Amino acid sequence: MTMVQAMFYLMGFITLASGLFIAISKNLVRSVFMFFVTLMALAGLYVLALADFIAITQIVVYVGGILVLIVFAFMLSGRETLANLQQQQSKFIRIKKLPAILLAVLFFIVMINVLFKTNFDGLPWIQQAIAQKNTIGTNDAMIGNIGVGLMTHYLLPFEAISILLMMALVGAAHISRKEKGI
Amino acid sequence: MEDFLQHIDTLTINFALGAVIMPLLAAIVNRCLPANSKPSGWISTLAILVSAVLSIFVFAKVWNQHEVHQQQVWFTIGNTSVYTGILLNNLSVLMLVLVSLVALPVHIYSTAYMKDDDRYGRYFVYLSFFCFSMLALVVVDNLVLFYAFWELVGFSSYLLIGFWYTKPKAIIANKKAFIMNRIGDIGLLTAIAILFASYHTFDIEQLFGANGVVKSAAISSNWQYVACIGLFLAVAAKSAQFPLHTWLPDAMEGPTSISALIHAATMVAAGVFLLGRFYPVFTHDELTILAIIGCFTAFMAATIALTQNDLKRILAYSTISQLGYMVMAMGIGAYSSSLFHLATHAFFKCLLFLVAGIVIHEVQHMKDEYNLHIDPQNILYMGGLRKKMPLTFIASVVGGLALFGFPLTSGYLSKDGILIQSFEWAEGKDWLHKLIPIGALLTSWLTAFYIARLVIKVFFGEFKAAQFDPAIKLHVSDGKWQYRVPLVLLMGCSLFPLFSINPILYEKAWIFNGFSVITALDRVNIYHTILPLLVNLVGVIVMYWAYAIYIKEKALPLPESGFLFRFSYREWYFDKIYQKVIVLPVIALSKFTRWFDRNILDGFIHLLAKIGIGGSKIAEWCDRYLIDGFLHLLASITLGIGNFARRFQNGKVQYYLFSMLAIILAVFIFKILIY
Amino acid sequence: MISLSDFLIVSAGLFCIGLFVTLTKRNAIQILIGIELMLNAAILNLIAFGKYDRFTNSGQTFALFAIVLAAATTAVALAIILNVYKKYKTIDPDKTDQLKD
Repeated sequence: MTMVQAMFYLMGFITLASGLFIAISKNLVRSVFMFFVTLMALAGLYVLALADFIAITQIVVYVGGILVLIVFAFMLSGRETLANLQQQQSKFIRIKKLPAILLAVLFFIVMINVLFKTNFDGLPWIQQAIAQKNTIGTNDAMIGNIGVGLMTHYLLPFEAISILLMMALVGAAHISRKEKGI
Repeated sequence: MEDFLQHIDTLTINFALGAVIMPLLAAIVNRCLPANSKPSGWISTLAILVSAVLSIFVFAKVWNQHEVHQQQVWFTIGNTSVYTGILLNNLSVLMLVLVSLVALPVHIYSTAYMKDDDRYGRYFVYLSFFCFSMLALVVVDNLVLFYAFWELVGFSSYLLIGFWYTKPKAIIANKKAFIMNRIGDIGLLTAIAILFASYHTFDIEQLFGANGVVKSAAISSNWQYVACIGLFLAVAAKSAQFPLHTWLPDAMEGPTSISALIHAATMVAAGVFLLGRFYPVFTHDELTILAIIGCFTAFMAATIALTQNDLKRILAYSTISQLGYMVMAMGIGAYSSSLFHLATHAFFKCLLFLVAGIVIHEVQHMKDEYNLHIDPQNILYMGGLRKKMPLTFIASVVGGLALFGFPLTSGYLSKDGILIQSFEWAEGKDWLHKLIPIGALLTSWLTAFYIARLVIKVFFGEFKAAQFDPAIKLHVSDGKWQYRVPLVLLMGCSLFPLFSINPILYEKAWIFNGFSVITALDRVNIYHTILPLLVNLVGVIVMYWAYAIYIKEKALPLPESGFLFRFSYREWYFDKIYQKVIVLPVIALSKFTRWFDRNILDGFIHLLAKIGIGGSKIAEWCDRYLIDGFLHLLASITLGIGNFARRFQNGKVQYYLFSMLAIILAVFIFKILIY
Repeated sequence: MISLSDFLIVSAGLFCIGLFVTLTKRNAIQILIGIELMLNAAILNLIAFGKYDRFTNSGQTFALFAIVLAAATTAVALAIILNVYKKYKTIDPDKTDQLKD
C-alpha cells in the first residue's frame, strides 16, 4: 500500500464516519462541527484527486462562508430551538427512521451495484483520454489552466453564475430583512 | 180500442211509478237538507199526498178490471232473462192505496208529533224512505225486487225503531227486530231460490197468476216443504207470528207515529201480503198449520194484552193478535176476508196508535211540567182524560169498537167474516179442527176485555198520577189540527160506509168481493145469524164487566199474584225462554268460535307470520352481511385507497421527498432486475 | 494510484448519508447540512472524473461553479429558514405545513 492510498482510505473513512455522525447525532452543534470535519476531509480527497485549487476553494467557500452562515443562522433561530433540539431522545435507531434507512441503504446498494458492474478502464472516453494524454498527472499545475479556461472557454457560465450569485445574495438579504407593513 | 187501452195502461203504469217514486224523491231531498230542517215534514207530506192521489187514480183504473202488467228485461244470465216491471192487480192496488192513505195522516200527525225533535228532518228521510220501499214492495212483479224491497222495508223499520238511538232500550229493540227479521229474510230467500230452481222464473205473474206454473206443476214434495217453511218464517218474522213475535212489542221504543204506520198498519201487514202473493204455493195441510199458528198467536197475544200496563205494548200485542187473525184466515181459505181485515185493521189500529201517541204526548208534558216520576206510557197513572180530550176519546172508542168488531164499524165486517168462515171451515171436521174457530171466538172476547180496559183506564175515572201531587191540574187537550185531522180522517175510514153499504153483511163489502177468486167454503147460514149476535152480546157484557172491575172497583177475576196473571204479565215467558234456549247457546257458541278463532286459527296464522318473520330475518341477515357487506367492502376499499392517496398529500416536505426517491429507487431496481 | 471506482464508492456513501440526513432530521438546518453533503458527493464525482480532462478542465471548473452555487443556495435557504422561524417559531419542516395566507 502506497502512502497515497493510505491517505485516501484515511480521508474516505473520516468523510464517511463524520457523515454518519452527522446523521446519527441529535445534537445540532455537534453535527455542525462534524460537518466542518467532513468538509475538511473532502478537501483532502479533492487534493488526492489532483484538484488542489478546488480543495482550496472548498475550504475557503464552504468552511469560511457556508459554515459560518449556518452557525449564524443556528444562533439566530433562538434559544428555545436549541433547548428543544438538545432534549431529543438519543435512541440510535428509531422505528420512525426505518423507512429512511431502508431507502438510503437500497440507494447505496443500487449505486454500488452499478459501479461494480462498470469496467471504468474499458470505457471508450477514458481510453480515448488516456490515448491522447489528456489525463492530469501528479505534477501538473492546473490553476493557470483553470483561470484561462474561466475567462475564455467558460466565460458565459462564469458570468451567469456571477449574476446568479449576486441575485441570490440580494434575494437572501431581501428575504431576511425585517418586514414592515405586514 | 186496443190502442186506447194500451194508452190507458201506460198512463196507469206511469201513475203507479209516480206514486212509488214520490216518497223516494222526498227522502233524497230531505237527506240533502240539514238534520233538523223544518220544511222536511211538509216535503214528505206533499210527496205522500201526491202518492195517495196517484194511487187512488190507479186503484180506480185497475180495481176489478183487467190486470196491468208491464215489464222489460233487467239482465240476462246465460239463457235466463230476469225481467223487471210493475204488476197491478186487485191485491197490489189495494195495498198501494191502503199504504198511501194510512201514511198520509201519519205524515200530517208526525209534523206535529216530532216537532221538537233534534233530528226532525232525518225522521222524515226515514219515513219517506219507508213509504217508498213499502209502495215499491207491493207493485213489483218479480221475486228478486220483491226480496230487495222486503229487505229495505225491514231496514227502514230498523232505522226508525232505533231512531232515538241514545236510549239503550231502543238500541236493544232495534237489534232484536233486525235479528228476528234476518231469520225471516233467510226463509224468504230460501223459498225464492227453490221456486226459481223449480220454475226458472222470478215473475210473480207467471208463478202465481191465473195460469201460473205453480198451480199446474207442483214441486217435488220435500223441496216444497222447505220452501213453505221458509215462507212461513218470513211471514212470522215480518208479521210477528208465534215463534218470532217478540220483536214487535219491543219495537214500540220507536216514535209512536212510526208504531202507528209501520208496526201496526203497513209493514207488519207485509207478511200477510206475502201470503196473499204466494198463496198458490201452499198445500191444504200447510194451510191448516198456518191456521193453527195464526189462531194460537191471536189467542196468546190477546191473553198477554190483558195484563200489560204499557199503553203501546197493549196495542202491540193487539196488533199481533189481529195479525194472527189474518194469518188464520189465510189458513182456513178465507183469502178475501184476510185481506179485507188487513185493510180495515190498518185504519183502526193506526187510529188507536195515534190516540196513544197523543195521550203519551200530553202525559209527557204533564210529567215534565210537574216533575213527576212516572212512566208516561203506563196506563195505571192515567185516567179521566175523557173530558179534556173529547176528540181523542171518541177516536179511541171508535178504534176500540172497530178492533173488537162492533156493528157499524169496519172491524165488524172483516172480523166477523173471518169468524163465520172459520166455523164454516171447521164444519164437518173433527173436534181438533173445531178448536180453531173456538179459539178465534175466545180471542174476540179477550179483545173486547183488553181494549175496554185500556179505554177505561185512560179515559174514565180520576187522573191517577194526581195522587202523587195534589196540586196537579189536568190541563191536557186534543192538540193542534195536525193531531185532529188525522184522527177524523182515520175515524171515517174505520166506519162501515167506506167498505160496504150494508153494515151487517160482510159479503156485500166490495173488498171482499174483489178477491172472490178463492171461495171454497160452503155457506152455512146459521153461523151468519148466530155468530155476530153471540160475539157482540158477550162482548158487550165483557166490556161492561171490565168497566165494573176498573171503575166500580169490583174484585179482579184473576188475583195479581196468581200464576195465570203472572204468566200473562210476563208475556208467556217467551223472552226468558228465548234467552235461555237460543240466545245463551248462541253466545256460548260464539264464545267457542271466538276461542277457536283466537287460539287455533290465529295460532296457525301467527305460526305463518312467525315463519314469515323468520324468513325475512334470514333475508335481512343476507342483506346486511352479504350484500351490504360487499358494498361496505367496496366502500372501505375505496376509503382505503383514498386514505392511502391522502397520506401522500400531507404537506410534509420530507415525506414528498421520500416518496419521490422511493419511486426513483423502484425504477432503478426494476431496471437492474430486468437487464 | 487511486482508482476511479474508489472515489465513486466514497461519493455514493456520502450521498446516501446525505440522503438519510435530509429525510430524517427534524431541523431545517440539519436538512440543509444533508443537502450540502449530497452536493459534496456530487462535486467529488465531478472532480474524480475531471482527472481525465486535462485540456479543458471541465470537471474542475464545474466543481467550482457547484461550490459557488452551493454557497448561494445556502445563503438563500438560511434566509428562508430565518423567516420561517420568525413566522412559526419553529424550523421543524413537519410543523410548517401551511401556506401563508
